[in-house]
Parts: sequence; C-alpha cells; structure tokens
Amino acid sequence: MNIQFKKGVLELCVLSMLLERDYYGYELVEHISKHIDISEGTIYPLLRRLKTDGFVKTYLEESQEGPPRKYYTITEEGKKACDELIFEWNHFVQGVNTIIKGDRHE
Amino acid sequence: MNRKEFIETLRADLKGLPQEEIDDIIYDYEEHFRIGLSQGKFEEDIARELGDPRNIAKMYKVSSKIDEAESNPSPKNLLKAMFSAMALGIFNFIIVLGPFIVIIALLIGMYGISVGLVVGGIGSIFGTILIPFSHYHVNLGFLPVTAVSLGIGLTCLGVLLFMASLYLTKLLYRGTVKYLKWNIDTIKK
Repeated sequence: MNIQFKKGVLELCVLSMLLERDYYGYELVEHISKHIDISEGTIYPLLRRLKTDGFVKTYLEESQEGPPRKYYTITEEGKKACDELIFEWNHFVQGVNTIIKGDRHE
Repeated sequence: MNRKEFIETLRADLKGLPQEEIDDIIYDYEEHFRIGLSQGKFEEDIARELGDPRNIAKMYKVSSKIDEAESNPSPKNLLKAMFSAMALGIFNFIIVLGPFIVIIALLIGMYGISVGLVVGGIGSIFGTILIPFSHYHVNLGFLPVTAVSLGIGLTCLGVLLFMASLYLTKLLYRGTVKYLKWNIDTIKK
C-alpha cells in the first residue's frame, strides 16, 4: 500500500485499541503489525508523541517475569481525539467506497 | 543485529536528548525484546521486525526538536526542527523551502517598510517643528500643519504595519511547527 495512505492511521489504531483497555507496548505493536505492514519500531515513537500531546498516559505494573511492564492508558483528551479520528476515517472510507462502486449515474 | 547491538546503536544515536528521556525510550525496547524472547522469538528476528535503530532514533529526535520549537519559540529552534525533519526525509524540502523563503523575504520587506514609515513620519514631524530653530531646512511647499499631520499619519501607519508583521510572523511560526508535526505522522516502512 502507498505510504501516503497510512498517514494518521496508526494513531487511530493505537487510540482505538486503548479505548477498550490498557495495553503494554509489546501487545500494541504485535496486534497492529499483525494487520498492517509496518516497521514495528515506529509505534514506540508514536506512543511517545501521543504521551507528549496528552492523549495517553503510562504507568508501571509488576509482572511475573522480570521488571515491571509499562502500560499505556488513554486520557479524556485522547478519547475525544480518537472519536474525531474515527469520524473522519469513516467519512473518508465512505467517500472512497462510493467512488469505487461507481456511483456516477445521476 | 542482536539485542545488544540494537540497543547500543539506538542509545548512541539518541545522544543529545535529555538522559532521562533516553533511559525511558530504551526501557520500551528492552521490554519489547524481553517479552519477544520469552515468547520464543530470536533476538535477530525481533530486531529486524523493529526496523533500523538509526531511523527510530531520528524519529525521536525530530519529535523532541519540534516540541522544543513549540514550547521555546526561537528562530534557532525552528531551524533545528526543520533540519532534523529534512534529515528524516519526510518531505521534499526543495518544494517546501522555496515558498518558505519567499514568505520570509516578504516579511522582512514588511518590517523594512514599517520602519521606513515610522522614521519618515517622525522626521516629518520633528523636521517641521524644528524649522524655526534651524538655519537650514528643506521646504517641500507643505504648510507646517500638513507636514505634521502627514508625519503623524505615516508614523501610525508604520506602527500598524509593524504590528501586523509581528502577528504574521507568529502565525508563520505556528504554521510551520504544525506542518512539521503533521509530516512526522507519516508511517515509514
């Protein structure tokens, strides 16, 4: 797929996953890269940007194996941003689908 | 590339960021390797799937420079952010730089004109007022009242234009930061 298509989509994916529950980085990366062809390393910089923008927060939680894991959780601001992104995305996809299906006869 | 090489390259290339931030970033990747390994993956495969640590480091650096330009506005910080974005190759800087330079030139022109107007205006006011005290003066054929009013008008116009230029400069700054932010959202393979 063309790179230009992916702009902003990753942010939408991360935020909408976090709407359901908190995730640690590995889970987010694994789930997204299962469905979308990306370099996994690009998700961590994105998570950091989302944190700086106040859309997500992090906390450490003890795990059975090794040091505590860093969990990501969505903020109220992040929820609002996510709703907007989902709306925009649906609008975009609907528009493209209408064109693809050939809705050109009046 | 194994875990150690990946982490060391990333750490080396992150140099220049605050130490605290570097440690926090490295924590994410250490955790990623740890969980991957515990699921039976090989270090080399995890590293390959993560991608080139040099590119990853660049992504963090450009983000941090843009944040710096946003919270600490200065031409230097903006240029730093722009150059690090260019290093990442996220936009065609020849296409972007051309219009940017033209806008900057126009702004500088506006500042020049506003300063000229103020200087001319003040000159016109004081030149007229000081006529009685001076032996030499150039008479343009204006009445003193006309010359003084013209001076006041020019000065006001100059100040207004200067304020407009300041406002446009701020707008340009914010616009550039926003544009850079929008660009780093591009997902690269």
